[in-house]
Amino acid sequence: MGFRIFSRDFADRCFTAFSIMSVVLMVCVLVMVLGPMMLHGLKAVFFFGTNEFREMQLAVFGHGDSERIRRENGEIEEARLFVYEAVGRFRRGIDTDHLSDDVRDIYRDYGSYLRDNGVSGERYSTLRARAKVLRDTLQDAFESRDKGTVQRNLQSVLELRDDPDFRGTVIEAYFEKAESYTHVVESVDLSKREQYAKAFDEVQEALSKLFGPRPGELLPALTIDQYGATRWDVVQRELQKLLWIEEWVETEPGQPMVKHRTARKEFFANTDLEPIFDYTEKNLYRLFRPRLTFYWRYFLDESTDGHYFGGCGPEILGTLALTFFSMLFSIPLGIISAAFLVECTSDNIVVRVIRTCINTLAGVPSIVFGLFGMAFFVLFLFPMLGEFGHETLGIFSAETAKNLTKPNILAASFTLGLLVLPVIIRASEEAIRAVPRTYKEAALALGAGQFRTFMTVILPAAAPGIFTGIILSLSRAAGETAPILFTGAIAFGPVPDSILEPTRALSYGSYDIAVGDRLAMLVPHKQYGMVMTLVALVLTLNIIAIWIRSRSSRKLRGI
Amino acid sequence: MQSSRPAEAARFDRPLLLSPGKDLRGYIFNKLGRAFLFLVTFVSVVAVLLIFYFIIREAAGFLAGPYVKQFFTSASWYPESHEHPEFGVLAIVAGTVYVTVLALLIAVPLGLLAAVWLSDIATFKVRQFIKPVIEILAAIPSVAFGFFAVLVMAPWMQTHLGYDTGTNVLNAGIILAVMALPTIISVAEDSLSAVGMEIREAAYGLGSTRAEAMIRVVIPAGHSGIIAAIILGMMRAVGETMVVWMASGNASQIPSPWWDLSQSVRTMTATIAGDMGETVQGSVHYQSLFSIGILLLVFTFGLNLMSEHFLARVRKGKGA
Repeated sequence: MGFRIFSRDFADRCFTAFSIMSVVLMVCVLVMVLGPMMLHGLKAVFFFGTNEFREMQLAVFGHGDSERIRRENGEIEEARLFVYEAVGRFRRGIDTDHLSDDVRDIYRDYGSYLRDNGVSGERYSTLRARAKVLRDTLQDAFESRDKGTVQRNLQSVLELRDDPDFRGTVIEAYFEKAESYTHVVESVDLSKREQYAKAFDEVQEALSKLFGPRPGELLPALTIDQYGATRWDVVQRELQKLLWIEEWVETEPGQPMVKHRTARKEFFANTDLEPIFDYTEKNLYRLFRPRLTFYWRYFLDESTDGHYFGGCGPEILGTLALTFFSMLFSIPLGIISAAFLVECTSDNIVVRVIRTCINTLAGVPSIVFGLFGMAFFVLFLFPMLGEFGHETLGIFSAETAKNLTKPNILAASFTLGLLVLPVIIRASEEAIRAVPRTYKEAALALGAGQFRTFMTVILPAAAPGIFTGIILSLSRAAGETAPILFTGAIAFGPVPDSILEPTRALSYGSYDIAVGDRLAMLVPHKQYGMVMTLVALVLTLNIIAIWIRSRSSRKLRGI
Repeated sequence: MQSSRPAEAARFDRPLLLSPGKDLRGYIFNKLGRAFLFLVTFVSVVAVLLIFYFIIREAAGFLAGPYVKQFFTSASWYPESHEHPEFGVLAIVAGTVYVTVLALLIAVPLGLLAAVWLSDIATFKVRQFIKPVIEILAAIPSVAFGFFAVLVMAPWMQTHLGYDTGTNVLNAGIILAVMALPTIISVAEDSLSAVGMEIREAAYGLGSTRAEAMIRVVIPAGHSGIIAAIILGMMRAVGETMVVWMASGNASQIPSPWWDLSQSVRTMTATIAGDMGETVQGSVHYQSLFSIGILLLVFTFGLNLMSEHFLARVRKGKGA
């Protein structure tokens, strides 16, 4: 018997433990889902912004203290000069392709120079031939990897420096080039040139990610490439790419690849490039001037391509517009329906059909609402109304009629409105039913009509409940994505001028930024920022609703 | 409030002076007002009818066309193929079944235990804290869950479980379970609370422990509501779009071997959402998507009627 009681007791404790665990698990899941979203999302708003960020804000959005930015920018460019000079020196030794190109161009210029000066016939041919020899010698020198050959070639070019034939002509540039290349050859190990060229490309790539385009360089077409690292965390990340060469190497066949890091400084040892790595690392603060930034304009700013820079202002605006217009449609409908269901009917067949329909409406999958919204509002009702209004009544312009045939805010709002209608009806019905019957009886006994009773007594008493329901459906409408996919949401596009144009929305934007956008993958803080904004909006609404309800229920208990 | 009214109280359902003879204006206004209210309420009915009508209208061409037999019997879905388009929906339905069943397998036990805890174990104060947590869980937009699935869960699965792809049945199933949990918990908790105190007291009086009382007496007594809770959770999982679109991988295949949850599938909702952007309005592909819409609509409509049936039993006290 003792064992039986023990085992029953044990089973009971297990049951309790499991049920507590399930709730704890649920709370953990909530924290796990919301935690990273909020934490990473906040990085879109609070971060250490570099001077590149402030510069970008000024140029793209026109915010900031231009005087101060220009001053700091000047200082920073000064600090960067060291790096740029080293890079330039190194480039001359490595990147000989463009040197060869230059030499060829000069040769061509020389030809036209001669023609322009009326040199012709045999003298022309002789001069051309001599220039050609020079050209070929120089090109051989640039292409050769043998130090001896190079020096010999350069020497033979330089011997002609004082030749009167070439004095004062474009050919003089050949001698300058030969001279500077002589210095380069002394410091660079030519046999490594191929390797250097590849690694040098990586260095330049990393540098342009860090510093943006070099001063004086042609401004890149994409906004992304026009600025360097705008955030301190990006600076750190890109710095690692600059300082280290990362490779996946196969140590043994069949084994997973292993990441292998070597310092670029060692790779470029004894070259002109060597000092820039230490310099950049040591002077990182001076090169970027990071400052803690509270980027509250994130919630207002337009964004550049792929949300790379900027904020989510248009998305917020779109979500607010969609929610507002859907509520404009569904709140009156919902409250009136609830009033009718509670006050005016008994339980007959019609009411039962209505109730079943409301429940069905609540159960229709959101994507089917999307399909319906497209088939009914976008493809059927609105074009029909547009045509009628344009051709018969003449109240719509041709453009309005055309907009009505495409997905637009209004269609999306109606679809969302239908989606949340059952939620509002149910919440309002419950709230109206919860008003004590004595209220109503007292009002009727005082001589108020049914309408007046409802408006002045029942509705105010039910208001907190109805309001709670409205806020909950607001948050539902703000968060839904599937119904607006085909009825009025777009991923990119201008801020709409009227409600007959499609809009961006936080919900669809969150989808697009998470899976659809290659550029956005590069800026995880922007991805999380968007979804954080959406979740924060929805949860704030919910918390307000919960708070109102708890207050009003306390009030009801207090009565 | 209905039951608190004393039987003998005077009836105030009708105002006193509204017979057509004595107060014609009031009478007409009253009737007109009622008619208006009725019409407004009827919008819901019209909406449901319109939904059915327009979904069927757009799908009609497909359902009357040559692909219907293939639709219901084939598992290959290649709608955009130029020479041999195929519209077999079975793999897609299987995808929905996979993620839904997995979600329910996770969410039902957890949800039931949590409901039991809320209705019978937790103290009032703790319950006041946990209930908002459940509501917040229910309020998180599905696209946010999808976001979590893609950017947090999928990479985690790839690195820690060694899956080829992080967007798979398991990922979608787990997230759907989390989304179905609040529905299941709140409906089940309501039905467990609706089971009378007397029944619990009788069970305890006969010497049962709390686990025995719950498992053998209270849960069977509240089974209608629990079934309704499961059905509602199922509806949530079947009808969910964004999470499965983002997390299930969108490969229209039946996993083989069948128990391999690390493979990608494609669900009905995700197919509609994903394909609609690429179709031409009025094409066979477009119509086939509406046909999938009909399947979804019919399926959820059936489930909805079932849940209503069970919930009505709870209300009438049969299930309690």
